[in-house]
Amino acid sequence: MDPAGVFAVRYSQDRALLRTRKQWFALAVFLAALAALPLLVGPRLIAVANIMLISAIVVVGLQICTGYAGQVNLGQAAFMGVGAYTAAVLAERTGLSFLLTIPLSGVAAAGFGFVFGLSAARIKGFYLALTTIAAQFVFHFAVLNLPGSWLGGSNGATVPPATLFGYRIASDTSLYYLCLVCTVIMVYGAFGIVRSRFGRAFIAVRDDDVAAGIMGINVVATKATAFLVGAFYAGVGGALWAYMLRFVAVDQFTLFNSVFFIAMIIVGGMGSVVGALIGVFVIRAIQELITSLGPELAASVPFLGGDIVFASMNVFLGGAIALFLIIEPKGLMHRWNIVKAGYRLWPFPY
Amino acid sequence: MTPLAARDVTLRFGGVIALDRVTVEVRPDELLAIIGPNGAGKTSLLNVLSGFYRPHSGQVELEGETIRSLRVDQVARSGVARTFQGTHLFAGQTVVENILVGRDVHMRTNILQAFCYFPWVAREEDEHRRAVEEIIEFLEIESIRNERVGTLGYGLRKRVDLGRALAQEPRILLMDEPMAGMNSEEKEDLARFILDVREARKTPVVLVEHDMGVVMDLADRIVVLDFGRVIAEGTPAEMQRNPDVIRAYLGEAQ
Repeated sequence: MDPAGVFAVRYSQDRALLRTRKQWFALAVFLAALAALPLLVGPRLIAVANIMLISAIVVVGLQICTGYAGQVNLGQAAFMGVGAYTAAVLAERTGLSFLLTIPLSGVAAAGFGFVFGLSAARIKGFYLALTTIAAQFVFHFAVLNLPGSWLGGSNGATVPPATLFGYRIASDTSLYYLCLVCTVIMVYGAFGIVRSRFGRAFIAVRDDDVAAGIMGINVVATKATAFLVGAFYAGVGGALWAYMLRFVAVDQFTLFNSVFFIAMIIVGGMGSVVGALIGVFVIRAIQELITSLGPELAASVPFLGGDIVFASMNVFLGGAIALFLIIEPKGLMHRWNIVKAGYRLWPFPY
Repeated sequence: MTPLAARDVTLRFGGVIALDRVTVEVRPDELLAIIGPNGAGKTSLLNVLSGFYRPHSGQVELEGETIRSLRVDQVARSGVARTFQGTHLFAGQTVVENILVGRDVHMRTNILQAFCYFPWVAREEDEHRRAVEEIIEFLEIESIRNERVGTLGYGLRKRVDLGRALAQEPRILLMDEPMAGMNSEEKEDLARFILDVREARKTPVVLVEHDMGVVMDLADRIVVLDFGRVIAEGTPAEMQRNPDVIRAYLGEAQ
């Protein structure tokens, strides 16, 4: 629903993402604030912001695959790992520029994801979730058991820093801008996909795949495409992750991470790109809060002991997510839409 | 040229013969009703015609070309649209988006173009949106175009279902019990839309329907199925007098 007095008179206005001047203004301010962030906060928070931006790319991909197309995917961290390892190998062995390795990592992850997307042709829901967990273990097993000279095995692999015209993108701030630019591009692309025929086909397959087939949508190809796109996003995120840490290892991409990515889209709201971004921000912020509060708590209340504090912090994080599921199962985006509609109708009830 | 024909179609589910050497031809511009008692195989026949079931033997031909071996989405792309018994709308989408899904068969954008959302992608969207608006106007659902279909009443949902099928600009329209569960006012509206579709678009319509009043008023020709066989075929007036039809519906006098 549009605010009072705003009426679309052309179809282009009706499909526009930003419909009022104020919305354009708000977006401009938000992007300017993001661009100025390194000037405003310290390096510690910039490092956190980098992780948030990378997670945002991965989770937006998961949102397309799971939130829009309804294909439960518990292997997103493995897809991310494939991207990270691809970037590591390409950058280390071939010396390709990050401008090429990042999209190529996405393509490699998309190829890996596509294989699991094909299994979605035959199975749904619960069974598909189990199959995508297999992706996680195939990845883990392959990296650890391939010859050590290929991917580094359990030692992991180092990654040279990204360079642009001789400038090394190695500091937190320069990495922040790299991640920010990539995130903006990927989020813009996600908005393009979800409001195109593909987004509609994804939702059609999610809501009623029988009807979707009869409407002329190739259900198998659509599901596979959803995995392809989701894994591509994960691969791009993985490549950035590799450039950020300059080191990749299998234990950075575990089932635990995949579950957290799912938690992010649930907390933010299924079927909304903005919801995915909100979910990433909220969960990562809580995680960060806990990791920074933990040591302080352990220091100020010494008789508790560090172990108990750290263990209970994870319980607290899990509890926070469980609380979200109980209070707002449709996600924060849903709540925001209700508030927005109410505000625009005020003082009338409908 | 016959728009759509099933020739000698046999369909079995295990030991049950749902369709037994059924031959049905749809003529150009006609409204063909398929009737029969419960379990006669009406919906099975519709599912065969729309490519949802593949018959064990026999042919399905769309304008002379066989579509028997095509997938269901390929059948839809070659010009067969259908509406559903009950509703099978995409509940998470608005009315406009549901009908736009029907336009998908005419869209050409690929995933990379969608990612970049090039100006011509937007232009394609707008062209199809224009076609959708014509259908919305035709079905008189302007006021609910931006509602999510999950919130709509049954009668309106059936209209959206019809709109989605019309958006495909099909060469033939199949309708599975469109009148089921509607009140008489909604039935009248829908009957008017079905007649208008035929008038304005010259699209032949195949109607599976239980409501005899509607069938007798609308249909040009009726095919009667019983136990998977065609037992009679002809105009509504002929069918009302046909002893086989009366026997199938009312049973034998002792």
